[in-house]
Amino acid sequence: MTYFIDSLLAAMALVTHFDSDIYQIVATSVSISLIAALIAASLAIPAGITMAQHQFSGKQFIQHLLNTLMAMPTVVIGLLLYGLFSRLGPLGNLGLLYTPTAMVIAEAILIFPIMMNLTITAVTSADPRLIPTLLSLGANPYSLFIQIVKQTRFAILAAIITGFGRAIGEVGAAMMLGGNIEGFTRTMTTAIALETSKGDFELGLALGILLLLIAFIINFLLSWLQRSPS
Amino acid sequence: MISSYQLNNIKVHRNEQCVLDIPQLTLPAHKCIALLGDNGAGKSTLLDVLAFTSQPSEGEVLLADQKTAFPLSSRQRRTIGYVSQHPFLLSGTVTDNIQLALKLQGIDRQHRPELTQQALNLVNLNHLAKQAANTLSGGELKRAAIARAIAYQPDILLLDEPFSHLDQNHIQQLERIIEKLAQQPGKTVIFSTHNRLQGLALADTTINLVAGKTTSAPLLNLFHGRLHDHIFDTGRLEIHTTSELGNARHIAIDPLEIIISTHELQSSMRNHFMGRLTLIAEEANTVRLTIDCGERFHAIISPESLLSLNLTLGDNIWLSFKSTAVTVF
Repeated sequence: MTYFIDSLLAAMALVTHFDSDIYQIVATSVSISLIAALIAASLAIPAGITMAQHQFSGKQFIQHLLNTLMAMPTVVIGLLLYGLFSRLGPLGNLGLLYTPTAMVIAEAILIFPIMMNLTITAVTSADPRLIPTLLSLGANPYSLFIQIVKQTRFAILAAIITGFGRAIGEVGAAMMLGGNIEGFTRTMTTAIALETSKGDFELGLALGILLLLIAFIINFLLSWLQRSPS
Repeated sequence: MISSYQLNNIKVHRNEQCVLDIPQLTLPAHKCIALLGDNGAGKSTLLDVLAFTSQPSEGEVLLADQKTAFPLSSRQRRTIGYVSQHPFLLSGTVTDNIQLALKLQGIDRQHRPELTQQALNLVNLNHLAKQAANTLSGGELKRAAIARAIAYQPDILLLDEPFSHLDQNHIQQLERIIEKLAQQPGKTVIFSTHNRLQGLALADTTINLVAGKTTSAPLLNLFHGRLHDHIFDTGRLEIHTTSELGNARHIAIDPLEIIISTHELQSSMRNHFMGRLTLIAEEANTVRLTIDCGERFHAIISPESLLSLNLTLGDNIWLSFKSTAVTVF
């Protein structure tokens, strides 16, 4: 018990003394997850709104596929991308393996189905009169898209935050594609796994505390958005 | 005559059922037109077609004598203002909603405040311009939706059941607004209502809808059933007709063609029914009687006839009409 309490106190000290190594890792984690979330959102939101608006054959299949991808283990995505980006893979000449770019790609792929699914839910659960009203007022496809985003902005923001939360807490793909290189691709989750296995429990715990803090902020934002009128 | 709409062979199918079937219909321009019919008669479906918010399964719609495509071109879209039965206001204030409509219609930013003001003036909603849309009462919401639909000054205004779910005070307000809008030069107002009297009072022209079809028959004394051998069976009464339409499912009898008497008449008329007088109502210098003969009939007589027949509620009276007075469709 003393070991755990001592480690916790040491971890708290690392956090409160703004240890530069720790905050370097946090910055890498946040920036990779944020870029991945923005890329995924820029694709998932238009795709989700388009899919929610239209009825077409194969829609049900896509919905099932998205649900399956939401539950896909992150190591599987890591494995597939590793195969593509490794020296012998089809995209090996791009030299992306063990770079933050590869990690951004992996996390964007990971959170795309989550964001798209939540966007579809946001649009389909909006007032059914929204789209006919906008069309009757003369909305063209572009202005219709903008107005749907505006009217469902809280639910769509919640989708982006949920995706970001999933990306920042992910470890499997980040480890396989980033390689956990210090100062370059080392993120909070990969560092926790490495430092704990090395026996540096305090550092792992300090990063864990910060990860929990970020998770708390994300959840606080989510519940605040859910309370807001949409 | 200039037409606002010309409908040719319009059919709308829902769940493999034909809910609207209009071989041909011309709606005149610069008039106030009422679409009359019971719930489910197809009024909202027809207005959706006229508003180009839903595409008919078959047929073509000419707008101001010009061909149309679905979705409508922005130039033609700007000629139509549409307020649905349950209008939806977007988040923001009443002014935000009107300004959005102007923006979507491509109206220049500098003209928007003036047009917003004009629209609010027309529906007497100036005092609520800055009020959040989600705090409006039912009547205010309908007026705000009308303001939004007329803000870009369309030639045609379509209103789906504008008086539904409103109290008498708001109904009167809205009637005055519709009259005001219809009196504007070059404007066509088309509204639907299940209240025949209201429609007749407000509109220059009425279109009757029954089971998705237009009919010239009056909608009073409208019965549904089957025709066999010139006799229409409503399930409660057998009514003589002269029609041979085998697939007819509806009949209507003009209330002016019904003769009221206190005893059975010996005449050439084929239809005689005895019933109980359940309603006596004054209606535009005439008297409307409702008689329950198993089916409920409406007859219109003069106030002098009412006096001479000395009718009181609950009396058993006879009604008679010719088989030629029955419109079968």
